[in-house]
Amino acid sequence: MDATLVADALSKSFTTGAVRTDVLRDLSIEIAAGELTLVSGPSGCGKSTLLAILSGLLRPDGGRAFALGQDLARLEPAELERFRLQHTGFVFQGFNLFPALSALEQVMLPLGYLGLGDALARRRAGDALAEVGLGSRMQLRPAELSGGEKQRVAIARALAKEPQLLFADEPTSALDAANGQIVIDTLHRIARTHGATVLCVSHDPRLVGHADRVLAMEDGRILADRRVAASRSP
Amino acid sequence: MVPLARKTLVHEWRRFLPSALAVAFSGLLLLVQAALVFGIFNSSAVYIRKSGGELWLGYPGTQSIELGRPIPQQAEIAALMDPAVERVEPFNWIDGDWRGPADKGGVSVFVSGIDTRSDALMFADALTPALRALLDEPDGVIVDRADLPKLGLDVGGQAVVNGHRVRIVGVGSGLRALGGVNIVTSLATSRRLDNGDSDGRVAYYVVKLRDGSDAAAVRQRLQPRGQARRFEVWTRDAFARRAVAYWMFETGAGLGVVLLAIVVFVVGALITSQTLMGAVAGSIREYATLHALGVGFARLRRVVLEQAAWVGAFGLVVGGVATALVVLLAHRRDVPVQLDLVTVAICATLVMGIALLSGLAAVRALRHADPALLLR
Ligand SMILES: Nc1ncnc2c1ncn2[C@@H]1O[C@H](COP(=O)(O)OP(=O)(O)O)[C@@H](O)[C@H]1O
Ligand SMILES: [Mg+2]
Repeated sequence: MDATLVADALSKSFTTGAVRTDVLRDLSIEIAAGELTLVSGPSGCGKSTLLAILSGLLRPDGGRAFALGQDLARLEPAELERFRLQHTGFVFQGFNLFPALSALEQVMLPLGYLGLGDALARRRAGDALAEVGLGSRMQLRPAELSGGEKQRVAIARALAKEPQLLFADEPTSALDAANGQIVIDTLHRIARTHGATVLCVSHDPRLVGHADRVLAMEDGRILADRRVAASRSP
Repeated sequence: MVPLARKTLVHEWRRFLPSALAVAFSGLLLLVQAALVFGIFNSSAVYIRKSGGELWLGYPGTQSIELGRPIPQQAEIAALMDPAVERVEPFNWIDGDWRGPADKGGVSVFVSGIDTRSDALMFADALTPALRALLDEPDGVIVDRADLPKLGLDVGGQAVVNGHRVRIVGVGSGLRALGGVNIVTSLATSRRLDNGDSDGRVAYYVVKLRDGSDAAAVRQRLQPRGQARRFEVWTRDAFARRAVAYWMFETGAGLGVVLLAIVVFVVGALITSQTLMGAVAGSIREYATLHALGVGFARLRRVVLEQAAWVGAFGLVVGGVATALVVLLAHRRDVPVQLDLVTVAICATLVMGIALLSGLAAVRALRHADPALLLR
C-alpha cells in the first residue's frame, strides 16, 4: 500500500502575544488512496492544522509533508497554487457557495479556472452533481437548497475537478445527524469509486463508524490508529 | 466560463446600487459643470462666432469683447486698402447705465451699435433682417428675451441709457452678454448714447474678405507693427478663443472647474471603492474557497475589476441620460450650456477611471481571502 499523503515528524506552533502553543508535536502518519481516513479528536487538538499542512495551505515549523510524492516545502507559492488546482479538492464546515450561482454553476466555476471548455465543464459538473444525488436540483441557487444539499454541492464542486486528494474539515458539523450521515457516506463512496485519497478531520464521534480508518488525535499527537470493519460502508 | 462577476452583480444588485449611483452622480456633476462653464464662457464668444466676417480689428491687447475701447478710423482705412478685403463694418461697443422702471434701479448694460443693413455682418445669425431694420427707428433698441425681466420692461417699453431715452423695439435671442445686459442699437443710436466720449470712433471693425482669401495672410498684412500700434487684428476664431480663455483663466473659473472635478473624482472613488470592498468582503469565504481550490489571486482580482467596470458602465449610462435631461431643461430655460464631444469623452474617461480605481482599491480586500479562514 503506497501512501499518497505522508507527514514526517511534523511540528507546528502558534504564538499569540507572549503565549506559545505547540499545536503539532513530532507527528508522523501515512495515508493511503482509495479509502476514507478520519482524524478524530477534540476541538483544538490540531486537526485543522494538520489538514492545512498536508494540503499545502500552511507550512510546518519542522518535519516534512509529502503529497503524491511531492515534498510540499520545495514548491514555490505559485507552484503550490497550481498543485492545489490540479490535485486537491476541499470541503469545509461552511458551504461557501456563491449566492448568485446555481448548483451547476458552482461546480462548473473551478473547472473553468482549470481551463476546461464550457461543454466539458458542464458535463463533468452534471456528472458530479448526479453522483452526490443532486441530479434533479442542478438549477437551484443556495437559497433554495437545504444545508445537506448545499454541502453536497460543495462536495460536487471539489469532486468535479477529479482530484486525487480530497480534504474535508468538519464537513458535517453544520448539519443534522441524517444529513451528516449522507455527507460522510458520499465522501466514503468517492474514496472507493474514484480511488481518491480522502482525509476527513472532525470532532464528531458519530462519523467514526463511517470511515475505513480512524486516527485518534489529542494534543497535537496521534494516539491510536485503527481500521474499521469494511461491512459498515454502504 | 461561468460569468461570476456579472451573475453576482445581477443577483446582488442592491449591494452594488449605491456605488453605481455614486458613479452616475459623479458623471452627472462632471458633465453638468463642464456644460455650464463652457456654456457660460462660450457665451462671451458667442457674438464673435455668430457674426459674419473673417477678421476683427480692435484695441491692442483686448482680451474679450466686453473690454473693447475705441480705435482710430485709420484701422478702417488700412483694411479697405487691402485688395483681399470686400467690406469693413464698424461695430461699436460702449458701457451704459440703464434706468428703467423705478423698482429695478440702475442696471449696467453693454451697448452694441451695429450696421442695420440686411446683409450686415454683426449678429448675422442672431438677428433677422426684419428685426435689424427695426433699429433704424432713432433710439430703438433690441434686447435678449431672457433679459426682459431683469430690465422690468416689455417690447415698447421705454428707459433711459446714459441720459438718453430709448425704446425697446424688439427682442431676440443669443444676444446675452457675460457680466451685464447687452442691448443692441444702430450705430447712429450708439454714438448718441456715447455722449461724444469717443469722438465718433468705434471699438471694432469687422472685416469680410473676398471669397478664397487666406484670412491668416491678410491678418499678417493688416497687423500694425512696432511699439505704438493703435489697433490689433485677429482672425475670428482667434478672437473668440481669446475671449473664452480670458474668462476661464483670468477669472479663476478654470481653476475652479479643475478643483471641483478633482473633488468629484475623489469623493466618487471613495464611495465606490467602499461599496466594492463591502461586496468583496461579503463573498470573502467563497473567494477563499476558490483560492483553496487553487484559483490564483490574479483570477480573483479580475472578477472584482470586472464588477467595477460594469458599475462604471452602468453609472456612465445613467449619468449620461441624467445629463442629457439637465442640458435639455437648461436649453428650454435659456441657460447657456454647451457640451462638445471632447468634453464628454474626458468626463466619461474620468468616470470609468473612478470605477476602475475603486476596483483596484477593492482588490486589496481580497487579501483576506485566506483559506485558513475556512478552517476555524
Ligand atoms: N493561525 C493561528 N494563530 C494562532 N493560533 C492558532 C492558529 N490556528 C490555530 N491556532 C490554535 O491552534 C490550536 C489547534 O487549532 P486547530 O488545528 O484549528 O484545532 P482543531 O481543528 O483540532 O479544532 C488551537 O488552540 C488554535 O487556537
Ligand atoms: Mg478545526
